[in-house]
Amino acid sequence: MAYKMNRRGVVAGLAATGLTAPFLNTRMAAAQSGPITLGVVTPLSGPVQLIGNFVRHGAEIGADYINSNGGVNGREIQLQFRDSKANPNDASVAARELIGAGTNLQLGTISSAVALAMGPLLQSEGGVVITSGAGTEKLNHENYNPHVFRVGDSPVSRNAGLVRHIVQSRPDIRKWGGIIPDHEYGRTTWKIFEATMRKAVPEMTGEEAVIAEPILVPYGSGDYRNYIQQAMRLDVDGIYTSVYGGDAVTLYQQAKPFGLFDKIDILLDSANEFLVATAMGDQTPAHWSGFHWYYEANKGNPLSDDLYASYVERTGDQYPMGWAAEAHAAIMAYAKAIEKTGGSTETADVIDALKGLSFDSATGMRHLRAEDNQAVKNAELAYIEPSSEAESGFEVTDYVSLDGENVVEPARPGEMLDLSAL
Amino acid sequence: MYDIGMTVFNGLAWAMATFLVAAGLTLIFGILHILNFAHGGFFMIGAYVSYSIMLGFGGGLPLWLYLVRAMAAGVVVGLLGWVVDKLVFRRLRDVEDAYSLIATYALLLICGGAVTLIWGLNYMGVMPPPALNSVIFLGDMFMPTYTIFIIFCGVAAFVGLELFISKTRTGRLIRVVAADPWMAQLLGLNVKRIYLVTVIVSFAMAGAAGGLLMPNQSLSPELGGIFLLQAFGVVILGGMGSIRGAFVAAIVLGLIESFGTYFFPQYPGIFFLLALGVILLLRPEGIMGKEQTA
Repeated sequence: MAYKMNRRGVVAGLAATGLTAPFLNTRMAAAQSGPITLGVVTPLSGPVQLIGNFVRHGAEIGADYINSNGGVNGREIQLQFRDSKANPNDASVAARELIGAGTNLQLGTISSAVALAMGPLLQSEGGVVITSGAGTEKLNHENYNPHVFRVGDSPVSRNAGLVRHIVQSRPDIRKWGGIIPDHEYGRTTWKIFEATMRKAVPEMTGEEAVIAEPILVPYGSGDYRNYIQQAMRLDVDGIYTSVYGGDAVTLYQQAKPFGLFDKIDILLDSANEFLVATAMGDQTPAHWSGFHWYYEANKGNPLSDDLYASYVERTGDQYPMGWAAEAHAAIMAYAKAIEKTGGSTETADVIDALKGLSFDSATGMRHLRAEDNQAVKNAELAYIEPSSEAESGFEVTDYVSLDGENVVEPARPGEMLDLSAL
Repeated sequence: MYDIGMTVFNGLAWAMATFLVAAGLTLIFGILHILNFAHGGFFMIGAYVSYSIMLGFGGGLPLWLYLVRAMAAGVVVGLLGWVVDKLVFRRLRDVEDAYSLIATYALLLICGGAVTLIWGLNYMGVMPPPALNSVIFLGDMFMPTYTIFIIFCGVAAFVGLELFISKTRTGRLIRVVAADPWMAQLLGLNVKRIYLVTVIVSFAMAGAAGGLLMPNQSLSPELGGIFLLQAFGVVILGGMGSIRGAFVAAIVLGLIESFGTYFFPQYPGIFFLLALGVILLLRPEGIMGKEQTA
């Protein structure tokens, strides 16, 4: 049915505009002068609540830091928390509800599935999200969306960093195997590991890498003995794994009596940070782990020192993990971007400001590439060993922070990850 | 030969760990006809209680204390069973199955919440006691002593439960009530008390299994769900409520899972489900069927 405009309608429309205009102006003025509200949509219950808690603390510490240093152009940052349950449906409801309430700037996504669901949603609803640890490579490749930014590692920079450091420090280790969770992310991490290893070993040693077929393990299993048996059969010097969280603890617990860790020279763990070590204490197998942020590697950086001290003060936990720093970095990025917009928090302005933004964080300066919204940041890794002297039963005996420019892949938004370009 | 031996060994370890959890589940179904979704939750509480007792003794324990600790966890969870029977299960006896499923699922959520509140969200890992933290070599085969211990515990639990059900007066009364509670009541048996004993024994078995299997996997509030699917599979395949059936089903599924993983490593974790589906298609009443319940 076509809409017919008549004189009465025009008059009514003008009257309505005249009546609401003062309120619109007030709201716009408030948007420029009142507190800045950021929505944090992260798991606050369910199996991933442990990680969501790091995000919550990191975001709160970041907001406190900004506010105690004068805010953003004098405006305070306020946080609105919503529970994503690490589930795309719940996260979508929460994100939409926040946008409906005027909170268009969001952060806190740690699940890859949620991060991928956020792009189309926020594009249609007029919001923007900065993820705080989502690991899928699709975010800045085939599922790139201008409304989604990643201030943390891409899976390429994390795994390529691990590989390059290990090949450099242990060029004698050329025979590798892998224990990989049988899901999309696990397979992706292995592809990146394998491609980088096959390239890095000849480059640095002049010899070829020998890489066995990876051992795929199911998610959430209570028994890994058959897979450990497969690993025991491998003729390898090093094992790479991206098995994660409680599964990793179970795997390591069950592998230890088989002597798997005595059989190999290096265990390379892509992402568990202190999750395994705090669970196993002095039974932790010695291993390198990738980190979003390792505080000792950033000592002297005021943002890192403040994040660490504040986290320990709040929780009593001496081992904060990197998701806290990623949420913290998201706050820093928003603060800097809103400064850049001159105070505007409108979605389009903030997206423009975030693209190409350089900002300081707990891991030093980060740069958000304008092409694919992916941060270029340092890749950090630490060597964790059991210790009879440390109260926790383990200690970090080595760590490195690698320049992000050397490990991140080229920006190719809209295209699948090209492993030959690594 | 080495690989086949290890595959059988690992399959038996899977089977007996699962049977330890499933034993109480099948007992309660056989008598009360309640599919207790919360069973995994009480298994988890048993593991955490055992962990707390271990910390109370300052960490690593000798074997006998490890066993005492697991039994103590069984007692604690058995007492919880008494509470659950009074508050929940008694109200479920004359209602449709759907209510039982919802009520016991709610109990599972409560278990997860309680664990989070009391013990927190962090993962915890416990190694076996020193006496079980070694390896026995049999030719080329290397068999961790803790894994041998799990297999032994599973067999012991089966034998113990069979003897309890068939040789003790309480066990015989349980069988009578399982067969015909109405007639048992007419004959003057205290059916309510027998139900209560069954629930307490079932919960105590879940708690003790949690204590015994604590070094087998990480502790976290997710633990309740990890064995639940496997345990239900074993109970269903065994023939609902049949202890003997559950034992045989655990071995069958464990070996199929183990050999499936050995021959087709590119498809991890699916053989249990595949075997369950195929066997139930061929024999819907399960291995032992209905007439041999409990």
